[in-house]
Amino acid sequence: MPGPDVVRAFALEIGLGALLVLVFVANLCIRSVDRRVIGWIASWGVLVLAVTSFLVMPAPPALRGMFVQDGLAIFAKRLFLAATFIGLLAALGNAHPAFVRRAGEYHLLILSSLLGMFVLVSARDLILLFVAFELMSIPLYVLSGFLKRQEEAVEAALKFFLVGSVSSAVLVYGLSFVYGAVRSTDLATVAQASTGIQPFLTLGLLAAFAGFAFKIAAFPFHMWVPDTYEAASTPFVAWLSVTPKAAGFVALFRVYLEGAGDRAAMWMPLAAGLATLTIVAGNLMALPQQNTKRLLAYSGIAHIGYMLVGFAATSASGVAMVLFYLVTYVFGNMGAFLVVEAVARSEGSEATAAFRGLAQRSPLLALAMLLFLLSLGGIPFVAGFWAKLYVFWAAASAGLYWLVLVGAVLSVVALFYYLVVAKRMYIEPPERPERVRLSTTLALAVLLCVAGVVVLGVYPTPLVMAALRAAAPLF
Amino acid sequence: MTPPVLSLITWSPFVGALLIMFTARHRPLAVRLIAAVATGISTLGSLWIYAAYDREAAGFQFYEKLPLVPPLGISYELGVDGISVLLVLLTSVIILAGVFASWTITVRGQEFYALLLALVTGVFGVFVALDLFVFFLFYELAVLPMYLLIGIWGSSGEVRPRGIFAWAYRETGVGTKEYAAMKLTLYLLFGSAFILVGIFALYVNAGASSFSFVDLEGVSFAPAVQRWVFLAFYVGFGILAGIWPLHTWSPDGHASAPTAVSMLHAGVLMKLGAYGVVRLGMGLLPGAAAELAWLVGTIGCVNIVYGALSAMAQTDLKYVIAYSSVSHMGIVMLGAATLTEAGLNGSVFQMFAHGVMTGLFFALVGLVYEKAHSREIGKMGGFGAAMPGIATAFTVGGLSSLGLPATAGFVAELLTFLGAARSDHWWWLFPAIVGTFLTAVYVLRVAKQIFWGPPSTHFHHLEDARGPEWVALVLLVAVLVLFGMAPGLAIAPVDTATTPLLSRIVGP
Repeated sequence: MPGPDVVRAFALEIGLGALLVLVFVANLCIRSVDRRVIGWIASWGVLVLAVTSFLVMPAPPALRGMFVQDGLAIFAKRLFLAATFIGLLAALGNAHPAFVRRAGEYHLLILSSLLGMFVLVSARDLILLFVAFELMSIPLYVLSGFLKRQEEAVEAALKFFLVGSVSSAVLVYGLSFVYGAVRSTDLATVAQASTGIQPFLTLGLLAAFAGFAFKIAAFPFHMWVPDTYEAASTPFVAWLSVTPKAAGFVALFRVYLEGAGDRAAMWMPLAAGLATLTIVAGNLMALPQQNTKRLLAYSGIAHIGYMLVGFAATSASGVAMVLFYLVTYVFGNMGAFLVVEAVARSEGSEATAAFRGLAQRSPLLALAMLLFLLSLGGIPFVAGFWAKLYVFWAAASAGLYWLVLVGAVLSVVALFYYLVVAKRMYIEPPERPERVRLSTTLALAVLLCVAGVVVLGVYPTPLVMAALRAAAPLF
Repeated sequence: MTPPVLSLITWSPFVGALLIMFTARHRPLAVRLIAAVATGISTLGSLWIYAAYDREAAGFQFYEKLPLVPPLGISYELGVDGISVLLVLLTSVIILAGVFASWTITVRGQEFYALLLALVTGVFGVFVALDLFVFFLFYELAVLPMYLLIGIWGSSGEVRPRGIFAWAYRETGVGTKEYAAMKLTLYLLFGSAFILVGIFALYVNAGASSFSFVDLEGVSFAPAVQRWVFLAFYVGFGILAGIWPLHTWSPDGHASAPTAVSMLHAGVLMKLGAYGVVRLGMGLLPGAAAELAWLVGTIGCVNIVYGALSAMAQTDLKYVIAYSSVSHMGIVMLGAATLTEAGLNGSVFQMFAHGVMTGLFFALVGLVYEKAHSREIGKMGGFGAAMPGIATAFTVGGLSSLGLPATAGFVAELLTFLGAARSDHWWWLFPAIVGTFLTAVYVLRVAKQIFWGPPSTHFHHLEDARGPEWVALVLLVAVLVLFGMAPGLAIAPVDTATTPLLSRIVGP
């Protein structure tokens, strides 16, 4: 009989598991072809979980230290729940036949992936970490190819699957070296063992880093991103572009920084180099894009680079600022994707040209998009500014001035392609006068994102403090 | 307890912008009245601080402080010294004139005025902020609305690209308002990246406890830090101040922008760059300022001559004025680089004089364009008969531009040249004087061609300024002549700020 401590540690996972079972049973019980009601069950369930997550307190490690429900894990889980709620909400209005018929499948897959993320950010054991990683990733491959009659979707799913499997293999190969060097799968032991020069341990951690880099889509491990994003359904992509990345970053913190103390600084050159490459490549490749989803895909790669800047600081404030960045990124990036969804549903096109004259057709939608773009571009008074500023601040505190300069200069390049979309919306004349119609749930999801971007832009302090508290015990 | 007059000046336009956005939909007159009242409040406030500024005391006055993010040492800290009090006055004069000069905007007027007022809040904020972080926020606010202001309400040039690079110009759309808006925004944000890094470097090196200018002023930074941060500030703010060779956004931007935006941008925002170099660069990094003065001054000289030569070559009226700004900003930078009292006073005086002068020019060009629908100098001629008021104002502005005694331009240039002659680099005097000569050539040529030459046959039904437009012209011409006749009005407060600044750089 598990003790109350274990129940406390697993409270959220138990809740999510119950929701999974509920969705599964509901899917079995519903006889009609229209199963969209499952979407409501899932999103309400996630909302309830999101609210209860604020009652969850850090608990002592469970399962002999394999599983930990600390401040970092809880912070990450709240972020996942918020992002998942927005993602599910946005998909509710989707009347595509596949979504109507296979809604149960869709939501089961999303929730299982979410369960994988939950376990991943709590895992302090190499085996559990890897299993959670796979539980998170495999549903994502299926979801990318959800519209299985479309060739692009199948191609995207296959590409994602192949790249993802290779990266998993690299990851687990690296972890096997780590085990060989340390003779333990416990991450705390690994952290303490990494004193001095241990070629096999370092080699293993390097290989694992490459595996993680695939997952978070850092350059040069990003190739799957644009194709997958372009072909998969947009609300799912909005979710895919933020939550697995956030989970990947938390896993990075667990493996490379937690408990390592000053020795964590050995990862600084690697992370700084990867951050530079990712920022430069992501931003430059985004420049010629004409498809808004591909544009956002490449800009997302650049954002991963900015988060790696915070990782490169290898300090508690660096970790905290990455967490903060992730939250702002959830709102800014998901919001932008959801506006793309709204426009694409109305215009039948995902090209940036579909945004022409949006400001005169649907001023509020255009304003929302402008806010998201400004947030992604790092402009004051919206959330993204503070995010960039804080990761730069963390990097500057660690003495990485050159990295800050690279990041700041490249963010101007980023602003160019964001402004191109703004130009289409505000300066160019519309082709058609009528408003862009969007479903109530999608509008609500966009509104939530706007609220997040604006509130965090005006008053970021509480969240920054929360992130600092969550990150402090790592060092 | 003094009333928070600086906050009032800064936020009044912002409140006006909000009111315009939310209450004055589809009521053009209400939009204009709100804009006029909001900027009028700022103007009254800045006149009051100008009058009440204690000319005997040094340091920052009308001080306000409110902690914002205590753990990081960020606070909302405002204050003015002699330099900023004058520049706040300049901003309020220009924006008041700008509101009246754009009275006839018809397309999406509500958004135009809202953005314009938001922009002005940023400009006021930069001049009064003493916390570097808040300073940076205001700086960004002053830069960003520009993209939409130029992109939507701007005008594209009529001059078709020629020469061997014509295809590239056509390809990128050189001369169009979209091109200008993008170029300007990216240049200025590129600059702000350097500024941000510089501010962070100072913050971290001073112990990461405060962003306050007053606190950082007390820290003496290591020479290497000073040198690098000064260069970062010089590049960052220098882009906004239009230093050669990073000035190319300015002619394109100013030529394409709508009248009020050109006035504000050339008149005030470029000063904001120069102000940044003087306030942050020289004020916080005195060692590097002395060490690198040769660079700042020499590039200032290049600006003067290069800008004037470029202005001579232009056939588009707005480009002439825009390049003259590049030339005159050279005088500002040169004056600051002389590190003499006369030079520095001249530099600040030039910021003020050139701001008013260029604001006047752009207002006039806007009026001429509105009446004649052309910016091509070659097509125009003999407008003086039809628009005597505009012609007179243009001539006064032109005479001030070339430094005729009894105008503000004369005082500024005289002081700067005196400073240059007394500095370690006396040879700076020659390019500076050559520049003044070239200015006379192009200004008089343009004035003669457009207003006083034989009447052109291209235009009919030309008329003089009307109603609210007069407010802008009379206001600006009066300020120009007043400060030319009585330069002490400006020098007295400025001196209280430049003397302690200099004593920090070159010793008492």
